[in-house]
Order: sequence, then C-alpha cells, then structure tokens
Amino acid sequence: MTMEKTPEPLENNSAELVIQTKGLTKRFLNVVANDNVSVDVRKGEIHCFLGENGAGKTTLAECLYGYYQPDGGQILFKGKPVKITSPNVAIKLGIGMVHQHFILIETLTVIENIVLGTEPMGLIPKLTEAEAKVQALCDTYGVDIDLKACIWQLSVGQQQWVEILKALYVGIDLLILDEPTAVLTPQESERLFEVLQQMKENGLSIIFITHKLKEVMRVSDRVTILRKGKLVDTVNTADMTREDLACMMVGREVVFRVAKDDVERGEPILKINDLHVKNDWDQGAICGIDLTLHKNEIVGVAGVGGNGQRELFEALVGIRKVEQGDVKMNGDSITHLSPRQIMAKGIGHVPEDRIRMGLIPDFSVAENLILGQHRDPPARKGLNIDSQYVKSFAEECVSDFDIATPSIEQQTQLLSGGNQQKVILARELNQKPRVILTNQPTRGLDVGVIEYVHGQLLEMRKEGVGILLFSEDLDEIMNLSDRIVVLFKGQIMGIFDSQEARVDEIGLLMAGVTEDDQ
Amino acid sequence: MNLLKNYRIEKRDHVSPLVLALSALVSLVAALMVTALLVTISGGDWKEAFSSLFGGAFGDKDAILETLVKSTPLILTGLAAAIAFRGKIWNIGAEGQLFAGAIGSYWAFVTFESLPTVPLLIIVFIAGCAAGGALGLLAGVLKAYFHVDEIITTVMTNYIVAYMLALILSGPWKEAGSVYRHTPALPDFVKLPIIVPGTRLNLGFILALLAAGLFYYLLKKTPLGYEIRALGSNPMASRFKGIAVSRTMITTLFISGAVAGMAGMIELFGSQYRIRMDLSTGYGFTGIIVALLGGLNPLAIIPAGIFFGGLINGSVRMQIFTKVPAALMSAVQAIILLFLLASQAIVRYRIRRVDDVD
Repeated sequence: MTMEKTPEPLENNSAELVIQTKGLTKRFLNVVANDNVSVDVRKGEIHCFLGENGAGKTTLAECLYGYYQPDGGQILFKGKPVKITSPNVAIKLGIGMVHQHFILIETLTVIENIVLGTEPMGLIPKLTEAEAKVQALCDTYGVDIDLKACIWQLSVGQQQWVEILKALYVGIDLLILDEPTAVLTPQESERLFEVLQQMKENGLSIIFITHKLKEVMRVSDRVTILRKGKLVDTVNTADMTREDLACMMVGREVVFRVAKDDVERGEPILKINDLHVKNDWDQGAICGIDLTLHKNEIVGVAGVGGNGQRELFEALVGIRKVEQGDVKMNGDSITHLSPRQIMAKGIGHVPEDRIRMGLIPDFSVAENLILGQHRDPPARKGLNIDSQYVKSFAEECVSDFDIATPSIEQQTQLLSGGNQQKVILARELNQKPRVILTNQPTRGLDVGVIEYVHGQLLEMRKEGVGILLFSEDLDEIMNLSDRIVVLFKGQIMGIFDSQEARVDEIGLLMAGVTEDDQ
Repeated sequence: MNLLKNYRIEKRDHVSPLVLALSALVSLVAALMVTALLVTISGGDWKEAFSSLFGGAFGDKDAILETLVKSTPLILTGLAAAIAFRGKIWNIGAEGQLFAGAIGSYWAFVTFESLPTVPLLIIVFIAGCAAGGALGLLAGVLKAYFHVDEIITTVMTNYIVAYMLALILSGPWKEAGSVYRHTPALPDFVKLPIIVPGTRLNLGFILALLAAGLFYYLLKKTPLGYEIRALGSNPMASRFKGIAVSRTMITTLFISGAVAGMAGMIELFGSQYRIRMDLSTGYGFTGIIVALLGGLNPLAIIPAGIFFGGLINGSVRMQIFTKVPAALMSAVQAIILLFLLASQAIVRYRIRRVDDVD
C-alpha cells in the first residue's frame, strides 16, 4: 500500500511533541514485546495504538507509564530524554493512565479514591477543596457522577469515569486509555468519545489503545499500528480506510463480513425454563430466564460482562447449581445432572478462558484432546487409556483442525492462544455434539483464527447443531447469530431476530434501559 | 544492587528429563560436599566418615541387602507422597498413616490369629492398607466437602495416631511383664518370609517394588491416573470436562494413605516384629524427600529410596567406627532437600544478562 502523507520529520516540530520513543525495546522471557519501536505523540491529538492481542500495545504504554522498564531505546518527554522509573515519576511528569482493570477501592467514595495518594491528608481529610476541583472537572466535561457515592455502588461505566477523573485531577498533559470501551455499552462508548474530543480541544494529548477498527476511525487523529511487537507505521487516520488499517494490523487482506448461509432452523433442542442461578457470593446471578434453542440455529447472548453470562454458562455445563427452574435437552431434563452426564447428552462447550477452564496446561496436545472422553471407549480399552487410539485421534485432530504444533506430545501451554483454542474446538466438535455452548470463543485471538472459529461454528450450524454463543463483542454476535438475546442483571431484556436487530436498540438494553424508561 | 539490575530471572520453556535427572545427581553430590564440611567442622575425618558410611551402606553383599531392608518403607512412603503430590494434594501424613497401618495390621493379627498363615497374612495386609487409607480418606473427605486444608489435617493426624499408639502401648497391647512400651514379638509363622537366607531381606521389599510398578502403571496408563494428573495441573478445567474432582481427591488420598499403611504393615511383619513408638523414625517425612528426589516418578523412587535406605544403614556403621554421630543423617537429609529445591529452581529458570537501557 502507498503512503502519500507521511508524518513530518520529528526534528522540525519536536516542540509540539508530548512524548516520543526512539527504538524502544522490551523483552519478556524470550518474547520481544516491543522491538525497536519509535512513535511520537503530538500535543492535543488523539493517538490510537492499534494492533491485535499480543501486538505489544499495552506493553508500550506501560513503558511510557513507568510500569515496565524498557530493555533498550529511549523515551523523550516534551523533547527531553527521561527515565520513567515508576508510575509516580510518570504522574509527576504529567502522564496519567487508565488500565483495563480498574484500581479503585470499592468501599471508599469517589472523591476519596480520587484524592487518595495525591497529597498528605492527615487524620481527618478535608475534602471540600478537592471536591470543588473535581466538580469543576465534571462540569467541564459534562460528567454526571455523585462524588460522595461509594465505588461499589457505581456501574462499571461510572467507575471508568472515576479512573479518568483520578488521572485528570493531578493535572496531566497525556492521558493513556487501555481498551477503555471493553466494559462499556455502545452508548457509553459514544459518550466517552465525545468527552475525549473535548479534552483534546483543551490541549490534552490522548493515547487510546484498542484493537477495534471502528473506534480508531471514530476517535483518532493519528494511529500507530503495531504487529507482533514491531512498528508497522504511524499514519493520519483521515487518509485511511478501515480495510487499509485491518490489512496493516493483520499483515494481509481481511474479509469483514462473515459469509453466513441461509439455513432453515430446525426443531427445538434445548429448552431453558424459568432458570435461577446464584453467583459465587450467593446472590441471584440469573433470575428467571426462558429461552429455547433450535437445531441449525445460533442464538447470541449479548451483554456487558458480569451480567450473569458466566453463571448461566456454568449452570448449563453442570458445574453450578441450579436453584430453580429446569433445562431440557430433547425433552429430557438435564437440570441437576453432572457435567459428565450432560456431556453424554451431546452438549459440547468452549469456555471463555482457554487455559483456566478449557485445557490442562501441563498435558500434551494428545492428552488434552481426549479430556472428557478418557473414561469411555474407544479412548479407554479395558482398564487402560488406549495409547494407540489417543495417538491416532490426536494426529487426526491436528491435521483436520490445522493445529500448529511441533508434535502431539508438545505441552499444550506452549502453544499459541489460537492453537490452544483449536485444540479445544477439535476436542469438542469431534464428539459430534448436538448443542454447543460457547462463551467468548474468540477472545484474545488473531483475526485469522477468529475467521476460522467463526467458520467452524457456522459449519456446525449447517449440520444441525444448536449453538448458544455468549460474547461481549457485539459485532461477533450481530454477524453470527440468527437470534439475539440481551442479558442484563441476570434477566433477558429482549429477544431479536438478527435481521431486524439494531445496534443502538441492543446497546440500550445492554445498559438496562427499556422503552418504558425513555 | 546496581550490578543485579542488569540480570533477569526467566523461566525456561522446556526442560528435558535428562537435565532434571542430572540436576538431582548434582544436588546429591553438592549435599555430600556440604556434609563433608560439617563433619570436618565438628572435628571428624570426613574421608573416614564417608568410607564407613558407604561401606556400611553398599560395601558388601550383606550391607547392600540390609540397605534394601531399610529402603523398603522409604520406597513405600515415597510412593505415598508422589501420588498425592502429582495431584497437587499435599499429604504430609504418611508418618501417621504408616503407624495406623501397623496398628491396623497388628489388630487384624490379634483378631484372626487362629487362621492359617497365608489367609492371615492377606487379611493383615489388607487391614494395614485399609487403616492407613482410612486416615487418608478422612483428610480427603474433609478437603473435598468441607474445604479443610489437607496439610493441616494430615499433619495433625500424625500426632493423633502417635498419642493413640502411646496410649495403647501403655495399656492393652503392652507386653506382659516388660518394662518397655511395646507389644509382644510376633510369632515366627506370621513373619514375612525371608528371601535371602541369612539376611533380613524379606518379601516386603518385593512388595514395595511391585507397588512402585503398579503406581507407575496407575499414573501413566489408567483413567484415574490421568485424572489425578489433570487435577494437579488444572482443577477447574477438570471440573468443566466432567472429572469428579471431589471423588478424585478422596480416592487419591485414600491410595496415598493405603500405601503408607502398607509401609507400616511391612515394617512390622517383615523387619521389626513388634510395635514400638520408634517403629518408624520419620520414614513418613523422609518419604517426601525420596519422592522429590525421584521427581515424583514411581520408578525413579526405587533408586531414591535405596539411596536413603543406604544413608540410614551406613550411618550406623559410621557411628560405631568413627566419632561422627548417626544423627548427622537427619542433617544430611535436610541438606539434600535444600539442594534439590535449589537445583530445580536453577533448572527451571535461568538468569540472563540484559543489555544496558541506555
């Protein structure tokens, strides 16, 4: 691809640069997370760091914030070489960062969290001055938040505002946001983008880390693309199309639209009736859900994370107790069966966290592929696990699912995330399931593997399998599903035919806003 | 401090079994070197001490066969630790389970004394395993259903069993007319057969070898072994894929306790012939070191057990012929453990010099 407008040479306008890296390199173990990366962020711009998972975006930002020390290269802040040895140093320089995982104290109020650690407070802190200052910030950006509320009372979106206010409160020139929209509904994201524009106009520079192209196009002035730890390029967003950026990010052409065949939906296969499930703290997580899944159908469960997806998934798998209601598979109740019995009924599952829930990390690829069928023929012969069968089954899976591994004896934890996911898919799909439960099947995967996973799911759908797809990625849900269910605080807010579903409507329901409220 | 800043500790991707075995060997040698130093400091002659130690352990046929007798309980308690540790279940209670096995088997002997030798020995054997297994089972049930940490329950049952034994030996089972707290000696017909005439080497050693083979097979080939290893690596994924985690924990602790109980039975019926408070001198704890030295591999536990059996056996001669006390062997065991742990850290991690930031 051609680059007509390259950014001007750095030396000429270094005065307007806020932060700059020269040949920054950061290694972990044998992995080079950042390889000789040179970027520059100008005053008053929104600068996206774009890349796939593992491209090194967050590592680069953490180096700028002093959380990591680079192994090589240089960082310049406002033209001067600096050593940012800790986040404290970064904050003193005027760099703030909002991490993916918030660092707030749940039982303290908003204002206490903001002031905490910024100044000596004495035994009884006087917060009136601070309150006025924070309130002024809120007014400037139109943020509506109760400063005296405790953090645990706030929604995730509001908590993110607290993190942002915390950064702004100390007076900064550069704000780093690490995938801030991951926890937001579409409406909340849009609101954030508006405020970021406003901050930019006030002269603040913003680094916005994301892997979502839509957000880059929507919010940024310039974008730095990283791939496998290396800098691909820094470009003006206005000169780019979504396809250009995707190509630079992945290193090849990408098809966005999933080709979905029209398939007539079959008879009902999984019926959930008035299901109640509790979370780990004994509170209601799923509060009375009715849902029917048909053959040849993908039902997408949309919702912001933490609204009962995990609990519902675990209840259907059989590892979480069902408090009330029932689940029927082909008319037979599977409500209180063990995970093993449920699997035997023909329910396969691809959980949200590969390494924690899906795989035995120390086991070889071959051993992982028979997990779950290891007690039954043909995997078991007499008293033993049949090593001949294990070997031939593994070789078949590795070739059918194109699993890149040096051998079937390789420890599974040494595979890449994508290949680990393929091991799980191979294992589950080879059991000829009639229902597949899958939670975030593509989280953290490369675009290529995502295409592959989506293709496999659609293939299963064509073969008559009913698929319940939980995902926090609304695009994934919209692309794959035949019907879409919106989950909010353990309840179904609405069920849509995906042909007729509108993103804004679903977004509102994800935030718990119903038509009556509007 | 500035010097250290340029070095990083990194985990290695892959460690070959050969390197692991070598590291165990190197740490043994290193531990013996430190031991030599200890002997020298305490005024002994380390060459003399070592030559009598190894002479006593492996110097001639009789020494070797006696070493095998001493290694029998260590191989078994090593297996007890290994199978539990493979499932990341920390059974520290082999000592108590061993005593329970001795008590259980002695009880069976007293109860069924009138039976012929072979069925009697089978019952005695089963009773020993069952008694040790029951203690493991108790810890397993408490862990699986009440989330009580097995380290605590197994350590505490060690004490409970020891004090119960002390009680029994002061009263009901005490040999009539003896001043010592021990049971009467077992009659000849119930002693485990000697396999090399003129020595103390008995059937127990063969049983220990069989147990090691069985454990190897169990862990490597059977669905249960697969589940124990899966549980050790990732209990959550195990649960997702239908492994009954609670049941596997309980079974593992039962098997672990049973093999420790077997050690108690064999020590009683094959070697010592009466229960005393010092029937075991810490075999249950030494078994943990044996298991680690053997890399938790049942077959490798055989040589590891024989090595420690040799240390115990040789230390007797060392004490007789040199001024070095046999108690030194406790120190040697601890030193070996430290070197083992350190060598594993070194093998699994490496220190790398990093380029200067500027």
